[in-house]
Amino acid sequence: MAQMAMLIDTSRCLGCQACVIACKAGRELLPEERWVEIREVVIGRFPELRGAFIPHRCFHCRNAPCVQVCPTGALYKQDGLTLVNFDRCSGCGYCVEVCPFGVPKIIDGRVSKCPSCIDLFQMGQEPWCLQTCPADVMVCGPREKLLAEARARVAALRERYPNAQIYGDTQMGGLAIFLILTEPPEVLGLPPQPQVPPLAIWKNGVQPLSLGALVLSVVTSGIAFFIARRRHLEEKNGAIQVSEVLSSSPDTEGESSSSHDTKGE
Amino acid sequence: MAHQATRLVLRYRLGQRLVHWIHTVAFFILLITGLALIWPPLSFLAAGGLSRLLHRVAGVVFLLTPVLYALMDFRGLRDLVRDSFTYTRRDLEWLKGFPGYFLGRTSHLPPQGRINAGQKIHHALTIISYFAISGSGLLLWLAKGSLGPTGLLITTIVHDLSMAVMAVLTVGHIYFTLVYDALPAMTTGYVTEGYARMEHRLWLESLPQEPPYVIETRGIEMQEAVPESSSTPMGEKAAG
Repeated sequence: MAQMAMLIDTSRCLGCQACVIACKAGRELLPEERWVEIREVVIGRFPELRGAFIPHRCFHCRNAPCVQVCPTGALYKQDGLTLVNFDRCSGCGYCVEVCPFGVPKIIDGRVSKCPSCIDLFQMGQEPWCLQTCPADVMVCGPREKLLAEARARVAALRERYPNAQIYGDTQMGGLAIFLILTEPPEVLGLPPQPQVPPLAIWKNGVQPLSLGALVLSVVTSGIAFFIARRRHLEEKNGAIQVSEVLSSSPDTEGESSSSHDTKGE
Repeated sequence: MAHQATRLVLRYRLGQRLVHWIHTVAFFILLITGLALIWPPLSFLAAGGLSRLLHRVAGVVFLLTPVLYALMDFRGLRDLVRDSFTYTRRDLEWLKGFPGYFLGRTSHLPPQGRINAGQKIHHALTIISYFAISGSGLLLWLAKGSLGPTGLLITTIVHDLSMAVMAVLTVGHIYFTLVYDALPAMTTGYVTEGYARMEHRLWLESLPQEPPYVIETRGIEMQEAVPESSSTPMGEKAAG
């Protein structure tokens, strides 16, 4: 499948929360779970109020930090999406620490975040959130086509919202679910350019190094053992011979040291 | 020759041996359940959260080992620390001769006390990695949710690297135990006098030559190896 993408045009969102409920019901989430949330942001002072409804959900980063730290491979990338194999999740919570959007949670001992409705895509359908939206906020399709569409919409929106812009075209290597915003992201509670440290050096650097050191030490010791064992037995049995010879002599006082000194020469 | 008495030297008391094996079990549980997060073929252990529970239980035991040692045999712990951090000129000489020791020879090495120079290095590294792995492990356990990406990265790297140091040290520990027949020290508590003389001569000489430090037994351990070597020329051994 191609790189899946979804455009969320927040200028159209009514804040009705239907997508939240549709996702919860359609994906049969636990009572405390929500994979989609809509947050209302109010800007300015009365009577000059502006505002927006901002989705708080997994944006499926191309360079997904959660995937980079997931120790068991429960989180993984496929078709541009960040998918979840819930059976593999250990509930370690590393993804919770690194997500720049604060999206994943650990609920009932395993990760809870939107794993995308890839099963619906595969059946030629669309995600629950999109299906239920009464305001056509969301569009699914090939990423390049959606980006072109978004640029056209932003150009039109600028007349009414001078700060209208696309969010997610470049952030985190590109978000598979990207937004049209009517205000700058920082005003709406989104990080303008989210940064994470080079997490890949852990899984791709430190871990192979550690495992490599362990394997190398086992192999080296395994080979050296046969040599060392033979040489040790030679030496030990030699030492016994020496001490036997010496113990038969009347001078027992200097036995141990003299036997060692002779060998040490 | 098979009926000759063997003199055995007490190396570790019962409390010391118990602490050693409790620590060993905890260490290997930690190693295996920890590798489940690094080595994909083992990751099935992590899936249900079972390995996490085991890791934490074993982690507490591991962390408390020094306390347990102090409670069971305080003198043993005190001597261990003192002997491990008393360095002499002989230790440097010994370390220069380490390659030969690695390959099974001791005759070229200066006589050592209860803890040889290699063990001193081993103990120092073990103590450093004990604190590094315990500290980072407690952070990963108790500070979960407040580490942030950079904190998580640093903590996991410290945890992994100290694991690697400990695991490699353990491989070396097992290796030297098997090469030099040192296992009885931690099972029966006694080593043969021949072993003690070869590896820890100064220690042997400092011990009272009487029970329970030195006992005599009608053992056959030492005799087993003799037939192979009775033909070994003396000159060859000295050259090695």
